[in-house]
Amino acid sequence: MTTPTMTTRVRRRRGDPALGAIALVALGLYVLFIVVPVLMSAWKSLTNENPLLARSDFVGLSNYREMAHDSALADSLGFTLLLAGTVTIAANAAGIAFALLLNRTSLSFRMMRTVAFLPQVLSGVIVGFVWRYILARDGILDNVLLSLGIIDRPITWLGSPHLAVLSVGIVATWVLTGFTTVVHLAALQSIPVELYQAAMVDGAGRWQRFRRITFPMLAPGTTISVTISLITMLKLYDIIAVLTSGGPANSTQSTALYIIQLAFTDDRYGYASAVAMLLLVVSIVIALSVTALLRRREVDL
Amino acid sequence: MAAALLTLAFVSPVYLTIVNAFKTQAQIVRDPAAPPAPPTTHNLTDALARPDRIVQIGLTNSAVTVVVSVLLIIPLGSALSFWLFRRSARLRRIVLAGFAAGLMIPPAVVLLPTIRILTFLHLDHTYPGLVLANVGGGYLSFAVFVYSGFLRSIPGEIIEAATVDGAGSLRIWRTIVMPLLRPATATVTIFLSLWIWNDFMNPQFILGPLHGQTITTGLYLSVGQFSTNYAQLFGVMFLAAVVPVAGYLALQKQFIAGLTSGATK
Repeated sequence: MTTPTMTTRVRRRRGDPALGAIALVALGLYVLFIVVPVLMSAWKSLTNENPLLARSDFVGLSNYREMAHDSALADSLGFTLLLAGTVTIAANAAGIAFALLLNRTSLSFRMMRTVAFLPQVLSGVIVGFVWRYILARDGILDNVLLSLGIIDRPITWLGSPHLAVLSVGIVATWVLTGFTTVVHLAALQSIPVELYQAAMVDGAGRWQRFRRITFPMLAPGTTISVTISLITMLKLYDIIAVLTSGGPANSTQSTALYIIQLAFTDDRYGYASAVAMLLLVVSIVIALSVTALLRRREVDL
Repeated sequence: MAAALLTLAFVSPVYLTIVNAFKTQAQIVRDPAAPPAPPTTHNLTDALARPDRIVQIGLTNSAVTVVVSVLLIIPLGSALSFWLFRRSARLRRIVLAGFAAGLMIPPAVVLLPTIRILTFLHLDHTYPGLVLANVGGGYLSFAVFVYSGFLRSIPGEIIEAATVDGAGSLRIWRTIVMPLLRPATATVTIFLSLWIWNDFMNPQFILGPLHGQTITTGLYLSVGQFSTNYAQLFGVMFLAAVVPVAGYLALQKQFIAGLTSGATK
């Protein structure tokens, strides 16, 4: 009954069970280590689970009610959003500027491009230590600024809340700029030269050429660069853990650090899970809405 | 000129890490920014001669974790992507949306339940547990996205022809798709190796400080011990950084290509 064409069609639809089996293993692992943990967090967030308690009870939304009055949480969320927003803007502005500066093909510029990406290659632990050394009181930065006469006495960059926030922002911007530069450089190099030639024939000045050609043509690169910057900042842990451990006075405690502290220092599993759910929702909402917004902007430009 | 100066200022932290690894404590304290004159290799030999062998152990453990994790993620990620590629567009969209979440979820959010699951499997505080959490976590999402994006660029006729020849999916995947996906595999290998090598949170909490060290947690530990012995610190830091930096310098063309393939489309 079955003709050869039918066999191939059936076969193509069903595929080979062996490939399906490998795919299923991959899906299963992903479900086990991403989907199930999220569901577990959602469930635990409704309990008062604590390894020091003999049993954990269902407490309804009481963890979420506590979150509404938790000033440490409000501070950490405020810091995380402030950091994510400002560092994303600063790193992408710096990345575009750096890319424009390095957009030549001569050897020395290729070397500089290679070097510009280096911060991205280093572990956050190393980045944290080197900068802790640079920013120390009477450290290298203080000495440079003193000798240039910009400041008249040493500054404790990591010692006061405001300056520590600024310092974490500078270090994170430094790391991310390596990434944003390379992405924008690639986008720059994909812009057809003819566009600029035509604009010059039309008498467009430098600023107009940037405003009307470069900036809009960079948009797809900017979308990716901004989205990844934001996601990176919302999950940032290692650099802060080494640079400030969240201090002084919890001023640089990101929400990721707060979750770790609640879970592993305070042993409050239930409450840590509730805060984790909040960070999850905030991260996904921000990532999705910013991507959608930037995509729409690509079309408009 | 301005570009050169700016680049120099930008990489000065990297410069400090390198030069101070080859200076004595006295030289570092006198002028941290000075070049190592005369250079000393004592910091490196001291770091390698420590009785706890933290550098050697960390490098070995990191290397094993990276190699095993990546060797598992590549076939799993590419097979899943190819399998998905041949399903309906609707199913593909749903599954890929699920994997997109893996890229956005902060690791801190799933850390505690991940440890609970590993405890349940009797794999908590072990290297197999660490590898398993790497393979199933957000890294797999990255692999699936790179492979799925690349698969769309393969002409359908090639796979079509193999199907008519009667080759099964597994054979098509192994003999035709995998070779075509080589650039994607290069991107996946490079970035996952770098990220898993540099990862701090997973080894710190899934493995736990008492149960073993990767190079990042070992470095973190030794800084606690030598907070003022900068010579020793910079020596350990240099040894920790040299592997990813050398890898990047050797493979930078592929690095940049992988990073920018999405940016210019």
